[in-house]
Amino acid sequence: MSNNLKLITAPLRKANPVTVLILGICSALAVTAKLKPAIVMALSVTVVTALSNLVISLLRKGIPSKIRIIVQLIVVATLVILVDQFLKAFMYDVSKQLSVFVGLIITNCIVMGRLEAFAMSHRPWESFLDGIGNGLGYGSILVIVAFVRELFGSGTLLGYQVITQGLYDFGYVNNSLMILPPMALIIIGIIIWLQKSEEEK
Amino acid sequence: MSDRYIFRYIIILVAIVSILLSAAAMWLQPYQRRNELNEQRINILKAAGITDVDNHNAEQLFKQHCTNKHEGDMPYYVIDESITVIPMRGNGLWGPIWGYLGLSEDHKTVVSAVFDHKSETPGLGAEITTDNYRNQYNGKHLLKNGDAVTVEVDAIAGATRTSKGVEEMIERTLKLYLPYFENEQ
Repeated sequence: MSNNLKLITAPLRKANPVTVLILGICSALAVTAKLKPAIVMALSVTVVTALSNLVISLLRKGIPSKIRIIVQLIVVATLVILVDQFLKAFMYDVSKQLSVFVGLIITNCIVMGRLEAFAMSHRPWESFLDGIGNGLGYGSILVIVAFVRELFGSGTLLGYQVITQGLYDFGYVNNSLMILPPMALIIIGIIIWLQKSEEEK
Repeated sequence: MSDRYIFRYIIILVAIVSILLSAAAMWLQPYQRRNELNEQRINILKAAGITDVDNHNAEQLFKQHCTNKHEGDMPYYVIDESITVIPMRGNGLWGPIWGYLGLSEDHKTVVSAVFDHKSETPGLGAEITTDNYRNQYNGKHLLKNGDAVTVEVDAIAGATRTSKGVEEMIERTLKLYLPYFENEQ
C-alpha cells in the first residue's frame, strides 16, 4: 500500500511533472491568470491522465507496438473531447475562458509521457494512481501560480475581492504585469528555484 | 503481431470510440444548446441596459423583458416595449466579431452595446468584450456623418484594426436598420 501511496505523492514534489520534468508549461502559462479556470483545468488534466492511464494499462497487452502511439492518441483524444463537451454543457462560462486549452490537453506532454513511461508497463490500478498523482502534481503548480497571479494581478481570489478598498485608498495598485503570460513563467521559475534550493540542503 | 491483427485492432478501436463520442454528443447537445441560447439572451438583455443577468436567470428575465421578437431577414428584439436591440456581425483583425446594439425608442441614442469575438488578440482586440469598452456606448447619441450614421467612442490603443472593425460593423448595421425602422413607422 505504501508503494501505491508513493505513486500519488512522488509527483507532487520529488517528481513533479511541471517543476522537475518541465512538462506542460504551455498551458500552465495560459490558464493561470485566474484561480477558477486553473482549478477546472487541473481537474480536467487529472481526469484525463488518470483515465487514459487506466485504459491504456488495461489494453497494454493487446496494443500492437507498431501503432501504440496512435492508439494512445486515440484514447487521449476521446477523453479530452468528452471532458470538453462536458464542460460546454455544465460549466459554460469556465469552458469559454479555457477556450482552446481544454482541447490542447491532447498535446500536453504529461499525458502521453505517463502513458509511454508508466501505463504501458504497469498494472491498471497502479497506472490509475500514477495518473491521479501526476494530474495533481501538475494541478498543484497551476493553483499556486494562479493564486499569486489573481491575488496580485486583480486583487481577488475566485472572483471575490480580497484586497480591501482601504489599501487602494492608500495608493496600492494591482500589478497588471501579473495578468500577462510572462509573469506565469517567472513564478514557475521561482517555484523551481525554491524547490531546488530546499532539496540541496 | 501480423498486419492483419493491427488493422483489425485499429478498426475495432475506432468503431468503439466513435460510438462513444456520438452517444456523448447526443446526450449533451440539449444542455449545450441551452447554454448558447442563454448566452444570446444575456447579450441581448445587456445591450438593453439590464446588466444583472447570468446563466441561471437568463431564460426567465428574457421572457419577462422581451416583449417583441422579429425574425427573418432583419431580426431585432424589443425589450420592455421601448428599447430595440439589433444584432451585428463584422470582421475584426483575425476573425469575425459580433455583438448587439440597444437603441432607445426614438432610435436616436444608444442604450448599451455588447461585443464578442472569435480570435482577437487577448489584452488588445479582445478588450472589446470588457465592460470598460462597452460602457462607453451607454447613452451615446447617433451622429450623422454625411451618408453614414455612427457612434463615436475611444478606440483601443494597439488594436486599431479591431476598433475599426467595430466601427464599420455599427455603421453598416445602422445603415441597414434605420431606414427600415423609419419605413415601418
